[in-house]
Amino acid sequence: MDTVTYPQKEVTDFIAGNIVPLRVASDAMPLSKHFNVKWTPTLVVLDVAGKEHARTLGFLPPEEFIPTILLGMGKSCFDLDDFALAIEDFDRLIQPYPRSHSTPQAIYLQGVTRYKSTHDVGHLKKLYEKLRDEYPQSVWAQRAMPYRLL
Amino acid sequence: METAIKWQTDMKMAIQQAKAEDKPILLDFFNPG
Repeated sequence: MDTVTYPQKEVTDFIAGNIVPLRVASDAMPLSKHFNVKWTPTLVVLDVAGKEHARTLGFLPPEEFIPTILLGMGKSCFDLDDFALAIEDFDRLIQPYPRSHSTPQAIYLQGVTRYKSTHDVGHLKKLYEKLRDEYPQSVWAQRAMPYRLL
Repeated sequence: METAIKWQTDMKMAIQQAKAEDKPILLDFFNPG
């Protein structure tokens, strides 16, 4: 991460504008035990209270770093019922990073978020159709399959 | 390689900054070697 991903200007600009970066050694107590860290790099997205909402394990190349963190930020807002901000974070991932490994999950969660904020089941059907058409091999297309019946 | 990221190294300070700026936190556990 230090030699490939973090030196990239797009990555440093994204971090500076969107998230507070905190770095600790994997053996630093009590955080290591509290977050049950077993391998590095482990990246965890926390809310402003320090509660975990998403984590990744292993190296992230520059082209996956920003979408991965945006997915975590969206999940954090989703968990906290901040639906408008969650939809916005997922959009910031889906539109510019259509080939990211995080995109299918963001499409799924964005559709679910839209459904939860409107109770319009059409959003669930739309997320299924988008995943079926654009990411048919994704596990998220599989998980959305029940919505084809709506 | 040096990076331009201004890492916090203390959880309490990071939470304080996150609340002040209304931003989430990225916690990176690294291998100290």
